[in-house]
Amino acid sequence: MSSHREAPSISQDPAADNADTYAFVSPDDPTTVTIITNYVPLQGPPGGPNFFEFGDDVLYSIYIDNDGDALPEITYQFKFHTTYRNKETFLYNTGPIDSLDSPNWNKRQFYSVSVIHSNFKGKNHSHDGKGTVLGKDLACPPCNIGPRSTPNYEENLGAPAVHSLPGGISVFAGQRNDGFFVDLGAIFDLGDIRELNSLHLIPTATGTSVDPLKTMNIHAIAIKVPISMLTKDGSVPTDPAKAVSVLGIWGGASRRKVYVQDKHKKLHSGPWTQVSRLGNPLFNEVIVPIGDKDEWNAVDPIDDKGFEKYVKQPELAKLLPVLYPGAFPNLAAYTKDRADLHAILLTGIPSGVVPGFQNFTTTKPSDMLRLNVAIPPTTSDPNALGLIGGDAAGYPNGRRVFDDVVSIELKAVAGATIPLVDPSFTPDAAVGAVSSYLEPGNDRYQETFPYLGTPHDGYDTPSS
Amino acid sequence: MERLSRRSFMKVAGAATGAAAIAAAPPIARAAMGDGAEKIDATTDVPHEPVVAYVRDAARGEVTVSSGTVEHTYRDRALVQKLMRAAGRKGTI
Repeated sequence: MSSHREAPSISQDPAADNADTYAFVSPDDPTTVTIITNYVPLQGPPGGPNFFEFGDDVLYSIYIDNDGDALPEITYQFKFHTTYRNKETFLYNTGPIDSLDSPNWNKRQFYSVSVIHSNFKGKNHSHDGKGTVLGKDLACPPCNIGPRSTPNYEENLGAPAVHSLPGGISVFAGQRNDGFFVDLGAIFDLGDIRELNSLHLIPTATGTSVDPLKTMNIHAIAIKVPISMLTKDGSVPTDPAKAVSVLGIWGGASRRKVYVQDKHKKLHSGPWTQVSRLGNPLFNEVIVPIGDKDEWNAVDPIDDKGFEKYVKQPELAKLLPVLYPGAFPNLAAYTKDRADLHAILLTGIPSGVVPGFQNFTTTKPSDMLRLNVAIPPTTSDPNALGLIGGDAAGYPNGRRVFDDVVSIELKAVAGATIPLVDPSFTPDAAVGAVSSYLEPGNDRYQETFPYLGTPHDGYDTPSS
Repeated sequence: MERLSRRSFMKVAGAATGAAAIAAAPPIARAAMGDGAEKIDATTDVPHEPVVAYVRDAARGEVTVSSGTVEHTYRDRALVQKLMRAAGRKGTI
């Protein structure tokens, strides 16, 4: 998955598991950038009575590098706290929740948003939890329970949970429809793609891809910020070729270093310590080997030099010719370091590779989403294959909620992007057949902030 | 390397919380700790933000102390020795 349960340690800690990070120029407000980081993955909508929520003991961060040093010049941090109206009942709600201040809503969660502006020069966590507060006691919406408990969810609860902060910033934190899509059942069954079953090393009858995430929810932290507040010089860039146009963006979650379990209470001490992060989708999932995944989550993009070798010689590129015998002869014979993947994932694509486009930030290998904010959003018929589909407003230029990152990255690893840096290479014909084979429904997304759709309600999901 | 004497550490810990928890250590042994220390049953809950000290490297006499969102590591062989005795460990220093 993008980064759902992708490492041994964080798979045991869903509240801190950064499952997806998105960053894009807001299509309905193109003077702003929207950044979304998702947590608590794979939520079954009926999962009560203690429905899903953020961790009160987790520090959630969104990092922005605006000068190409792979360190954050701007950090937005989110801290949550849960309250109860009535501890004498087992109920999450004692009647319909028809507003964010409904007296029927028992277990509520609120949050604060802070910002840290600094040039840390390698000490980029020294101010964690100590930023300037932009907003506090902001209400999350409840989870979507069903028609009796959360009627007219989006109108009553989802939309009112979009809060305005000083400077034209908007924030939302709460349950959403998970926009990520992939055939989990197949891909984890020895890298299968059901449409290619007959070509697999262990062949079966050809099938049709299934998207199990289409009935699951997730918790999203979304922030929409004027571009001028994010760029190094305070401008709204219009020239994609300029370095100031590119932002490096990633998300992360931290826990206190020590906790003491005292009877039913958890008590904390020590500095914040990162337990999860995510820039490019699938980086830790399919690039980093299992023995290094926990370490990758704990360090920062500036420390990614040690993981560079896994990008240059990715395991998945060696597996594809084995799993699909005879389908990838050119890929199997390609032994050079993967300069294409190195650029896409670790440095950004420099000028001159894709006409009219660049998102290069640094020669320091560092996993970040890289968003060129001078590329306007594609508002008419955007291509979910992003840059390789001819749509420069999509991944790997940042990442939009509907981008088909599984298809994009599978095709890239399979060799589709090698000719960008090595014209002598001819991609195998099978690259065209490598795909997620999924088209998510319209309910997955919405056209306005926070762009991820209304969460599935537990009463109606699953439907039978 | 910052220094912290046993007396100053106990003063800091005591002022903040009245207790110091020893993380990642086995149950406190029955052995006397010396220096007048007395093994007792805890009289209070763990404070909201406990001051935590843990021995990072007994052989080097290194102890890490967490308080609030800050931690520091000190070399204090006497303190480490006392903590190790309290933990029922011998012969490591």
